[in-house]
Amino acid sequence: MEEYVHITLDGAKVPVPKGTTVLDAALSYGICIPHLCHVPYLTPIGVCRLCIVELIENGRAKVTTSCTLDAKEGMVIRTNSEKIRNLRRKLAELLVAEAPNSRAVQDLAARCGVTEVRYPFRNHDCVLCGRCVRVCEEVWQARALGFVGRGKARRVEFPFGVKPDFCKECNTCIDLCPMTITPCPGPMKTGEEYLCAQCASQVSMAENMPDTCVLCDLGQGFQCARQTGQV
Amino acid sequence: MASIRELTSLRETLAAERRSKRGTIILCGDTGCEASGSHLLADAIRKELAERGLEDSVELRVTGCHGFCEVGPVMVVEPGNIFYCHVSANDAGEIVSATIERGQVVERLLYADPVSGKRVIKEEHVPFYRAQDRVLLGRNKLVSPSSIEDYIAEGGYSSLAKVLEEMTPEQVIGETKASGLRGRGGGGFPTGRKWESCRAAEGEPKYVICNADEGDPGAYMDRSLLEGNPHAVLEGMLIGAYAIGARHGYVYVRNEYPMALESAKVAVVQAEDLGLLGDNILGSGFSFDVKIARGAGAFVCGESTALMASLEGKVGEPRPKDVHTVEEGLRNKPSTLNNVETWANVPLIIEKGSAWFAGKGTEKSKGTKIFALTGRVKNTGLVEVEMGTPLRTLIYDIGGGAADGVGVKAVQTGGPSGGCLPTSKFDLPVDFETLAEAGSMVGSGGMVVMDERTCMVDVAKYFLNFLLDESCGKCFPCRVGIDRMLEIVTDITEGRGSPEQIALLEDLAETVSETSLCALGKTAANPVISTLRYFRDEYEAHINDKRCPAGVCRELIEYWIDEEKCTGCGACLRACPHRAISGEKEGPHTIDAATCVKCGICHDECQFDAVVIR
Repeated sequence: MEEYVHITLDGAKVPVPKGTTVLDAALSYGICIPHLCHVPYLTPIGVCRLCIVELIENGRAKVTTSCTLDAKEGMVIRTNSEKIRNLRRKLAELLVAEAPNSRAVQDLAARCGVTEVRYPFRNHDCVLCGRCVRVCEEVWQARALGFVGRGKARRVEFPFGVKPDFCKECNTCIDLCPMTITPCPGPMKTGEEYLCAQCASQVSMAENMPDTCVLCDLGQGFQCARQTGQV
Repeated sequence: MASIRELTSLRETLAAERRSKRGTIILCGDTGCEASGSHLLADAIRKELAERGLEDSVELRVTGCHGFCEVGPVMVVEPGNIFYCHVSANDAGEIVSATIERGQVVERLLYADPVSGKRVIKEEHVPFYRAQDRVLLGRNKLVSPSSIEDYIAEGGYSSLAKVLEEMTPEQVIGETKASGLRGRGGGGFPTGRKWESCRAAEGEPKYVICNADEGDPGAYMDRSLLEGNPHAVLEGMLIGAYAIGARHGYVYVRNEYPMALESAKVAVVQAEDLGLLGDNILGSGFSFDVKIARGAGAFVCGESTALMASLEGKVGEPRPKDVHTVEEGLRNKPSTLNNVETWANVPLIIEKGSAWFAGKGTEKSKGTKIFALTGRVKNTGLVEVEMGTPLRTLIYDIGGGAADGVGVKAVQTGGPSGGCLPTSKFDLPVDFETLAEAGSMVGSGGMVVMDERTCMVDVAKYFLNFLLDESCGKCFPCRVGIDRMLEIVTDITEGRGSPEQIALLEDLAETVSETSLCALGKTAANPVISTLRYFRDEYEAHINDKRCPAGVCRELIEYWIDEEKCTGCGACLRACPHRAISGEKEGPHTIDAATCVKCGICHDECQFDAVVIR
């Protein structure tokens, strides 16, 4: 029989299977915590930091990522406090300024309530979420992709920059890439910093019903827990 | 050696041999003094002693750092505790003939008090040393780093013997907890509690790790300890391993510290040869071995999880610490990681008792702490003071105040993760909580003093640059957040700043420090936060008046020649690489602002202070 632990999610005490991460637990209860680098079947690495929650320990709140946090008996989690919403919005603002041409990132930003971006746009075509690297290594055991370089120079690359013959050309890396979804033509071009109607409606939904999963159009290949049937 | 009795008898033999010496010349042979030629001096003294037939009765001990690097090479002659500074190879003959043979003091080599100009004979009377409490550093002088015999003769490994003979692991942990020792690497986590949870954690084998990947700009406490007294660190690790129940240990030394690496390697081999490392140590049934690992030059590898990843042979990147390393650390086994200075404190606590250690320091921070005092201060070097000593004592009494007459403005403590504190905070006692409350930190112990010629916005820019270079790039807020902060600060120093940017900077700083994955990111905003808190006027001057009050930011300053002071000597004219200066000989010169690249050479060249910055 499956073992359960009990955690307090936004005030509700709920049972979750032992070994589940807090993010998966929240998603399974219909609480949509925005996330980018998380893919249900891959090892969590906690790099996009969007899925931050507050973990209450000994009366103190600690900000941590829910995708790397295993649910333990008695844990108290706040997924949607004022502080978390603020931090998430600022993170998403930074993120969308890095890659304003990705539909997934645009949607996430809108979902997190970003209405203005205060940084100059940079048009990078990779946000180093590591989805491709992990799927290549963990699912296909090909290791044809990896991270190269440190800090600002970090990038995803084939070994020695050449496509190796052990690349299985499965294209899963492309399927999972948040940058491959055709961008929404609406929002946030330099000089016209306003939201298109679709994004504006998402922002208002996110504000009015903060805990619900808005169908965030994360795209066909871009798998949210909802698409993989976890909900 | 197979028993504790053998260790004791060896110690007695060695100590008797030491007592039979007529005198000892203790010469600092550490990196700083060696760079000023102490190895040449050592050769000269050796030759001189041999010529006079003194090589058996007088010991020349080349040791680790004495701390007062500013006046190196330094030496102490015993008996008499005579302190010589700025010694060169040419002085060897006089030192041996006068001081050793005739017991006279060589006046010109003595340290002169900068205030009174009086010569000080004894090391203990030198103002730099007087205000210190050199519990750890003072022992550097007693041993040659390459000699385990020295260490044993001075009572080394007696704490290990005591632990193996009389104490249970629980008692050792109890003693460490009672001492109040806290991690010296920056976090300040109680060491005894860390050991306790590691002992309680399930999993075999357990590991003990010494973090010697010290990377803060201007800090070198750990290097000096490992270079000067490596056996103290090993003994600390042995005691810790016994308490935790660990079988293997690692010393992770950064490869940029060749001397520390060498001395740690030699120490491990010596300890193995004497049976102080390996199987069944001193017949107690306790086994422990130590391996030396070299770090490949990443600042982030000083972070515990990144260091462990690096030890495993993976890329040195931190991982989330939702499960602590005392439960799942190196190779997913319980691991205890402590910094060099923390380990070096352990044998002393066992030897002198937790009450002795807890008697020093403040309520929550016990013992002493070593700081690397650098920057615009007269006496730079390593200083060790009791926790709770005011910053003012460190900077003025020990450091001797501002280096060249320009007033001290701030002190940056704790390395890139720390913050800048203004003079109004100089009465704060140095302990973990007080400095953290003031917006800085004790950190690993870097202390950079800044004077009026330092632009605080430029300082923030420097540290952001450093952190951007050293960020591993794994998590988004650290990689991009630091980059964006640097972008904004650069805008401000180059005159493109706008008033909204201060709020944006504060916003960013909060985001980065709250959401980053590891301690590097979580503290990366500290230089910005603390300078904004205490030196906001400088930011505002840069933004609103497009002016750099300290005259540092090139885009905001202008060089100009004061006609009344200019004597027309032509020194600046000849020095200017861009031919931006014109003027007749003996007549006033002028700088053509359009050609000037603001390199500042004319300002340095002018002997009459006629070139001014505005």
